[in-house]
Amino acid sequence: MNIAVDVMGGDYAPAELIAGAIQRLQDTDATFLLVGDETTIKNELEAYRFDPERIKIIHASQVIHMDESPATALRKKKDASIVVATRLVKEGAAHAVISCGSTGAQMAAAIFILGRMDKIDRPPIVTAIPTEQDDYALLIDVGANVDCKPRQMLQFAVLGSAYAATLWDKSSPVVALLNNGEEETKGNSLAVESYGLLKQNTNINFVGNIEGRDIFSGKSDVIVCDGFTGNILLKCMEGMGSFLAKACGKELGYIPAVFQRLDYSKIGGAPLLGVEGISIVCHGSSKREAVYNGIRVAEECVQKNIVSLQKEALSLSQLTE
Amino acid sequence: MEELFLLARKLLAEQLDMEPEEITMETSFEAIEADSIDIVEMIMAMEDVYDVEFPEEDLEEFSTMGLLVKALYKFLKQVKK
Repeated sequence: MNIAVDVMGGDYAPAELIAGAIQRLQDTDATFLLVGDETTIKNELEAYRFDPERIKIIHASQVIHMDESPATALRKKKDASIVVATRLVKEGAAHAVISCGSTGAQMAAAIFILGRMDKIDRPPIVTAIPTEQDDYALLIDVGANVDCKPRQMLQFAVLGSAYAATLWDKSSPVVALLNNGEEETKGNSLAVESYGLLKQNTNINFVGNIEGRDIFSGKSDVIVCDGFTGNILLKCMEGMGSFLAKACGKELGYIPAVFQRLDYSKIGGAPLLGVEGISIVCHGSSKREAVYNGIRVAEECVQKNIVSLQKEALSLSQLTE
Repeated sequence: MEELFLLARKLLAEQLDMEPEEITMETSFEAIEADSIDIVEMIMAMEDVYDVEFPEEDLEEFSTMGLLVKALYKFLKQVKK
């Protein structure tokens, strides 16, 4: 298995990206294609001993930065690391790509290079949230689509169900809509209209609205929201987790292990769903442990064939083109 | 230019799930909630039709359908020469 790693994206690129890949090398049979500036990568690699057959450098002369308009940058920077890495997946040289760089650029690369699946407007990003049941719930979308239409929310629900069923072996995953109340009429117009669409669709196990305080309860396997809400929720959870961990550390003298379950570096990354290939989005602040786990997620997605399984779910769904 | 405009609005209307007649040369992309990905997708589809590669302009410069179509038309005329 070949995994393309965009080593130029992220706050700690390329050093931590390369360190994470080298660390992962010891626990897998996969080969890593490190995509970025060749000289820089070679210099970084000098610090490590590794099997040269399993680390290959693919030169890319440009980088798309966080402040660039993703779609425009993608057209202008044809040799950007995320473009080259995604192209490797399209051409079959890699089975998956992972990046800690601009999420917008990664999404645009996935749309324009890999292509969207039929019936999907825009790919969403998912993340796993720990629950009281010692399990995880899937939050979808956590930032790829800040302005959503009800039909997109339904698409997220179908893709999220397929993901939970495939990667987490959940039969008939319970789907809920994140809202500010449980009643059908609660929320803004997007929530109310989305509720109607989700309720009508018999291919998903929709149980109604879920409030923010219940997302850790384990009542739902898939929690659907627009990317604006999802991203704020995600960052809020990260901040709350960090605050509580520090507060506990001060009071108790140690940080209870439970906080590790909220640590994004343990989760690593999550795939963009609804695209014709595997593209794993990692946190921009990822260090080596997060990169290690992001690559692990990429390998798992390849092994479980998530692209085919999503397509199968979409073909059975009642979504329209 | 009319032909180019009709193709552009057909492609964009399909992407945004709206009627082509709702888009005119004066329509701003912001008003119809077309973001840069929608616009690039439309341009790429047009490139396939005309078998050309449009220059990589800053899309932010084109706030309306008319401004974009005029720029693409100007480029196509140059290519034909």
